[in-house]
Amino acid sequence: MTLLSIKNLSVKFGEQEILHDVNLAVENKELLAILGSSGAGKSTLLRLIAGFETPSAGEIWLDGKQVSSSTNLLAPENRGIGIVPQDSALFPHLTVRGNIEFGLLGYDKAQKHARVQELLKLTRMEEFADRKPDQLSGGQAQRVALARALAKKPALVLLDEPFSALDAELREVLRAEVKAVLKAEGATAILVTHDQEEALSLADRVAVMRAGTIIQVGTPTEIYNEPVDLGIATFLGDSVLIEGEVVEDKVHTALGKLTALNHIEPGQKGVVAVRSENFYLQPNPNGDSEVIGRVFFGHDAVVEVQTPSQKIRARSNGPFAPEVGMRVTVWVRGAVNFYPNSARN
Amino acid sequence: MQKPPIAIFALGVFAALSALLPLGYLLIRLSAGIEKALVELLRARTLELLANTLLLTVSVTLTALVIGFAQAWLTTRTNLFGTAFFAVLGTLPLAIPSYVLALAYTSVFPGFNGFFASWITLSLATAPYVFLAVSAALIRSNANQEEVARSLGLSSFQVLRKVTWPQVRPAAMASGLLVALYVLSEFGAVSILRFDTFTRAIYNAYRGSFDRTAAASLAVVLVVLTLIVLYFEKRYRTNYTRIEKQSRQLRINLGGWRWPAAAVLMLPAVGSSILPIAALLGWSLSGDDWDPAEILQALGASLGIAISAGLVIGIFAVAVALWNVRFASKLSSGVELTIWSSHALPAIVVALSLVFFGANLTPAIYQTVWLLIFAYLILFLPNALSVITTPIAQVSTSQEQVARSLGLGKLGAIFKLVLPMSKAGIWAGIALASLAVLKELPATLLLRPNSVDTLATKLWAATETLSYSQAAPYALLLIIIAGVPALVLNAQARKLISEVNVK
Repeated sequence: MTLLSIKNLSVKFGEQEILHDVNLAVENKELLAILGSSGAGKSTLLRLIAGFETPSAGEIWLDGKQVSSSTNLLAPENRGIGIVPQDSALFPHLTVRGNIEFGLLGYDKAQKHARVQELLKLTRMEEFADRKPDQLSGGQAQRVALARALAKKPALVLLDEPFSALDAELREVLRAEVKAVLKAEGATAILVTHDQEEALSLADRVAVMRAGTIIQVGTPTEIYNEPVDLGIATFLGDSVLIEGEVVEDKVHTALGKLTALNHIEPGQKGVVAVRSENFYLQPNPNGDSEVIGRVFFGHDAVVEVQTPSQKIRARSNGPFAPEVGMRVTVWVRGAVNFYPNSARN
Repeated sequence: MQKPPIAIFALGVFAALSALLPLGYLLIRLSAGIEKALVELLRARTLELLANTLLLTVSVTLTALVIGFAQAWLTTRTNLFGTAFFAVLGTLPLAIPSYVLALAYTSVFPGFNGFFASWITLSLATAPYVFLAVSAALIRSNANQEEVARSLGLSSFQVLRKVTWPQVRPAAMASGLLVALYVLSEFGAVSILRFDTFTRAIYNAYRGSFDRTAAASLAVVLVVLTLIVLYFEKRYRTNYTRIEKQSRQLRINLGGWRWPAAAVLMLPAVGSSILPIAALLGWSLSGDDWDPAEILQALGASLGIAISAGLVIGIFAVAVALWNVRFASKLSSGVELTIWSSHALPAIVVALSLVFFGANLTPAIYQTVWLLIFAYLILFLPNALSVITTPIAQVSTSQEQVARSLGLGKLGAIFKLVLPMSKAGIWAGIALASLAVLKELPATLLLRPNSVDTLATKLWAATETLSYSQAAPYALLLIIIAGVPALVLNAQARKLISEVNVK
């Protein structure tokens, strides 16, 4: 069942159009990630959903009710949408417990206590219940912010780059925890992020945003394997672009005849996007390519190779990565996406 | 942009209109009798007052600059011992109202009055403003530049002149102009020391005649002087770019000069606080003509008025701060600007215009405590506003949005989130306003109901009859209940003392 649906939504601040014709549907109990670089309009979209901005055109429907249009705006306090801001925004004058029960307005004492205990347990914050926010670590603060947003069992939870202020290691742990908590609560959530790894690893579905509009929605696998355009292909992961021409059912390139994932027409010219992990470097003293650089990461290595036509970056199994100066033959493994020049702009 | 709740709008607009009232009413009154006013102003007496006022303003400003700069440089840039102690000493005069200082001196040295007396007294009273501003600038300025200058071969005195002074000059100039504003509006000390400046002349003209044209004309001249200084103060006011605190600051080795330097620092401290407090203690203990019951009554009246005025001012300050921070619009910033514009007006001018206004247009509240509290609102709302705005602005938009998403309306978010979070700052603002009311003299003299005597008016009455032993207990009480708490609450002073301590 569709919980949230956004129809032809646009918003202008002054003359500048921040969002343009956004369409999006979020299913019940789904975790949707909105992925885009900074300035793409992600946070503005969240503020519109939460009811802090009025759209210039279009509509937002929540649970079968229209909540936003250019003439009608349901106040944020009446929407039942929980938010977890980037900076967690805990209330500094209240304890962890006080923060979590802040929104439980109509609850009696016993209900309040039970609900707060439940969330403290779920977020593993029981022993910190009486601490003030300034005595919490960044990760703990975000867990409390999540518990606070979930307390009233909101229809929808919005998370705005909730992990961006944390260091890499903590981020990974917390991501898994947040996902577990959201699933345990049966919550529907929208997570905004600029981190593709975060979006792909965490979400049930990903919506990719660029320049104020949503350009692709799909499961993480779909988004990664079949990016609709070159922009997404290069945005998601390390891709090398190689020029090619369609001859019969193959794309002919300097690195061989490649199979296309998407639909191709003979005679088309364009580029293929090859991810760095899809190259295979075969050591060959007579090979036409030379390794010119290597960055070692332990489990794998990124190898820079000069082919007769261009420089490529390939990911290679760490301990067996070729050394600088070695000659190799470059192969492309698996099928690739082809983007005809006519579709590029 | 969100609209403010109606109560906030109403309180803010009322406060802004009140701030415009004194000057507006004064001008209306004067334009009605412009010829008479011109006759009043074109007398030699006006020129004499102008000369006196300017002479006192310039000499006090320069002296305060010299004392304050020396204190600041010695405590922040040299290896003098006990810098925290000297920092406290440097701010101590803030605890003593200048008219109390004047009273203490004149009670000890019978011939202590006129220009020199006023000059010395006001210089000691105002030096802390320069000291605070300059030492803050010194602490923020980049000591690395001074080290580079030394490595390039400049002596420590050359460094002071060519590197340090240019860095702190804006702060020194701004604080000097604040001192000038202080002197222009100073009433109690110059009156007790019988030096005729505009403020004293306005008061005497008001007391001496039923026709208030003379007082009003003089007040307009004083306002013009104030506006000129204010113009320069605005030009020099600077916002410091914060430089990260350096781990190690260059401190000049004074060597054998440490003792003379310490003595120089002790001198203004002894003169501005220790000596007067000793004198007042002496008078209080030796005198037997003061009545504890009377003192208690004045104390009660003072506290009652100060606390009520503080609460009223606090409510207005919270409303204006909320409007300007959370529902900002052109109107709200206009309101705030208007409120601040009355800040530099001498209290005697505000009081005088309220006398006209109250007697003619609102006789129902004239000579009641309500008009007095209204005057305090005009005078001290900016003081409270400056303290209360910061904590309210610190409630982040995301915190407020979370509260809204959790089901609280606009007003609900204010009462359940914004106000509780900024509680400490709001109480500090109310306390500062109350303390300012406790010390206030000229407006209280002009506007109080005849039946009400406060500590300040009792002190004033006793000095008029030269009964120093009667005045001394009131002076001490004012220092203890108004001056010392105000100093303790002074964020600038507290910050300085803690920063001087970190070596």
